[in-house]
Amino acid sequence: MAPLRPRLLSLLLPVLVTLALIAAACGGPVTSTSPSPSGPSPTASAAPFPLSITDDAARSVTLTAKPARIVSLAPSNTEIACALGACAELVGVTDFDDYPASVKDVAKVVLNAKVDIEKVVAAKPDLILAAGNGLTPETVIAQLAGLGYPVLTLYPRTMDGVYADITLVGRALGAPDKAQATIATMQAKVKSVTDAVAGAARPRTFYEVGVFEGTIYTAGKDSFLASLISLAGGEPITGDASSTVIQIEDLVAADPQLIVLGDASYDTTLADPKKAAGTLAKRTGWGAMTAVREGHVLPFLSDILVTRPGPRIVDGLEALAKAIHPDRFGG
Amino acid sequence: MTAIEVPPGETRPEPSTALPEPVSEARGVAFAYRRRGLVREVLVSVDLAVRGGELVGLLGTNGSGKTTLLRLLAAAVRPDAGEIRIFGRPAANWSRAELARRVAVLPQQLELPAGFRVSEVVAMGRLPHASRLFSSTDEDDAAVETALLDADALDLAARPVEELSGGERQRVLVAMALAQQPALLLLDEPTVHLDLAHQVALIETVDRLRQSRGIAVVAVLHDLTLASTRVERVAVLDEGRIVADGAPEVVLSRDLVRRVFKVAADEAWTSEGRRLLAPAGTRR
Amino acid sequence: MRAAAVPRPRALVGGPSLTRSGLILGSGVLVLLIVLIVAVAAGSYSVGIGDTTAILGHRLLGIPATVTWSREAETIIFDLRLPRVLTAMLVGGGLAMAGATFQALLRNPLADPYIIGTASGASLGAAIAFMLPLLAPALAIGSATAWIGIGVVQVLAFVGGLGTVLAVYAIARGARGGTVTLLLTGYAVSSVLAAFVALLMHLAGNRLGVIFGWLMGALDGADWGRLAMAAPLVGISLVVLLIRWRRLNVLLLGDAQAAHLGVDVPRERLMLTMVASLATSAVVAISGTIGFVGLVVPHVLRLAIGPDHRLLLPASLLFGAALLAVADLGARLAGGVPVGVVTALIGAPFFLWLLVRSRAVWGAA
Repeated sequence: MAPLRPRLLSLLLPVLVTLALIAAACGGPVTSTSPSPSGPSPTASAAPFPLSITDDAARSVTLTAKPARIVSLAPSNTEIACALGACAELVGVTDFDDYPASVKDVAKVVLNAKVDIEKVVAAKPDLILAAGNGLTPETVIAQLAGLGYPVLTLYPRTMDGVYADITLVGRALGAPDKAQATIATMQAKVKSVTDAVAGAARPRTFYEVGVFEGTIYTAGKDSFLASLISLAGGEPITGDASSTVIQIEDLVAADPQLIVLGDASYDTTLADPKKAAGTLAKRTGWGAMTAVREGHVLPFLSDILVTRPGPRIVDGLEALAKAIHPDRFGG
Repeated sequence: MTAIEVPPGETRPEPSTALPEPVSEARGVAFAYRRRGLVREVLVSVDLAVRGGELVGLLGTNGSGKTTLLRLLAAAVRPDAGEIRIFGRPAANWSRAELARRVAVLPQQLELPAGFRVSEVVAMGRLPHASRLFSSTDEDDAAVETALLDADALDLAARPVEELSGGERQRVLVAMALAQQPALLLLDEPTVHLDLAHQVALIETVDRLRQSRGIAVVAVLHDLTLASTRVERVAVLDEGRIVADGAPEVVLSRDLVRRVFKVAADEAWTSEGRRLLAPAGTRR
Repeated sequence: MRAAAVPRPRALVGGPSLTRSGLILGSGVLVLLIVLIVAVAAGSYSVGIGDTTAILGHRLLGIPATVTWSREAETIIFDLRLPRVLTAMLVGGGLAMAGATFQALLRNPLADPYIIGTASGASLGAAIAFMLPLLAPALAIGSATAWIGIGVVQVLAFVGGLGTVLAVYAIARGARGGTVTLLLTGYAVSSVLAAFVALLMHLAGNRLGVIFGWLMGALDGADWGRLAMAAPLVGISLVVLLIRWRRLNVLLLGDAQAAHLGVDVPRERLMLTMVASLATSAVVAISGTIGFVGLVVPHVLRLAIGPDHRLLLPASLLFGAALLAVADLGARLAGGVPVGVVTALIGAPFFLWLLVRSRAVWGAA
């Protein structure tokens, strides 16, 4: 029976994903352009397996052989695996996975954000890639680990974190060279973006993750998304240190010069650039903001990219930079 | 039995040693209800002894402490002064379970929980004697049967309690009390909700029981006529003391009735020679 | 005196016949066994009944068998489903029995096992446990309790539940009022604790879903360790309550009459409250706050088999266990819906139907 997916749920889930990723518990550094990933150099003298690695949840995971059946519990993990050439080894993914297109044919073990443990077990995995910070419930991770499966939990909070995770998975898959290559490509793109926006005036930028019943969700302070906005040449307006919520008074006081509508990816009423400013003006209190008055309200359709901490996050960064500084990108 | 009308202030002479030990005895008992600093003295100094085979009708106006005295005699509450002895032992020395095996109380009103059958409710009276974990012994079953028989309720045994009439319910309550196989049976205004026939039947039943089984019975009565004709001994409470204790024809003088109950009483004699008291009016 | 002509059949007087009791309890056991097999066999990964019974027999009873099933099937059946179904049964049975006890104790048809604060206390304990990594990372001692097979959440939930009952009891006794005072105190304390839970949920951020899921009933993490923690506690409670069936019956007559029948009412009330709360806290700790079972199962059974606790208590245990296992099966097949939702959806309409069909579910004669 195909699960029903009411609009609200497909709206909420990416928001939850975004919130999970960008909430700042003890946020990492805001921006990072350092080139070298952390972790030991992956040149193995003897056979790379068996090996023990420590994942982002500080758990030690042992792999006895090169994984041939991989279950991914988050879309970002799927993309990392595929970037490292292991797409064919995927035997279980989530129903939100959509890149590359081939993963849509893989069996779904996570439905509507709920991990179906029985389906995971039935897929006979020898490596499970979980998401940290509670995105994959701790109880699920504990249960799978308790059943003897190697579970690697990934939770990158910065660009460096993404590089580190790619390196980590690269080691786990026995593909360290591919990892390095992927990282190099990503770093090159980041550099090209930062070069392009260098010196430009940084507008006060507000990234709208979603507005529900008057509660405004945005990037948390010191969060990954905030760091991306900074890299893209904007001055991010954020929620409080521990919250992804911003009060309307604080937003009005911060007076954004540019509003990027991340929820335009899911809400068609916000998708029209000509009407976006008008729609926002109708919200109580929003009409006073510079961005709304001057019509600098941009529907952003690449929210998926900036919320998946995988290889394509740099594409998201580029899209964000193009939205903030269209003039620097020949637009 | 000596009949004495005790004027207030005097104490009753000790019973002679020829009499059997009282089943329940109150000696100089006082009791007051306290609530939030308000004190209501109910009993000032009460002496009352009840022996096996006796049926004592307890009389008094509303608020005179009849129910309180009953509860004291049942050792359900402790007196503020004086002492209660059950079978010669101070009430405080009796454990609750021991008491329940000897003393049964029929409250004025009792709601019976719906869904039970009469026999199950009567069987609840066996709790003080219950010895097996999950089943009843033959003695238990026999006691329940006997209780139902004595209370004239055997034909009700399989009926659900919610279908019972007032009189039937009263009989079931009596049976439940009897299932305890008590030596002392205390009835708190048992005739209040009954029609005449059932009132008489109840008194007849307890009278029969005290004779055949030697149970001591104290029944709070409010009906002077009933008290004067159907019980052998009455005790009258007034202003916290027993002011009369003995055979009704001796103790219930018209003077006493007027003083305690504030009514004038007419007396007549039944064809069996019993003196009958009937209220005649509040003014003379 | 009545003549002895009236026949006196023993069956009338001796209480509920053993055959009737045996039939009811026996059918309860049978239903439970069937539900066990079916619930363990069914799920999102299908295993045939034959394989299921073979695996169970092989692993539980040591019955030798030629292995015709895959390793995955055995893992799913024995490591995942069996503890979960057994947990559901333990929880359902425990809640139903505790519910029956509270309904008698408080003489209140709306009483459920949570009524004097177990649920709110356990919820607060669990919420604190979930928030510990955020609130006080140094105190996140999850791995420290792992050796007993349970986590911080279970420990704090249990402590919270039982502790709240003790506090409510202490406060109510101070007010010296009887059942009504106890109920009102329980309500007041529950409200305060629920407010704290709401506050924690507000601060929870992305952990909100985890807390909320626990409140709706969390059998997902069921494992042998948690069963081992809760089962003995529920077992003790069971034994104590089953033995005291007569007193529970008698308490229905009211405090005064119960005292006349030899029951030390305050002490009895305390003991029954604590024992029933022990079971309730134990099961809430391992499964979250699952509603309705503790309220509805005893009522339905009372309508069906009568209020005598000698039968009602064990029947509540058996049928409560079966009900929750079935509800959990439904929840799993519906895609992982919280089991508390399913119990409400099953329980409420059925209860209403029975109410309409019967003359009295609770009342006095």
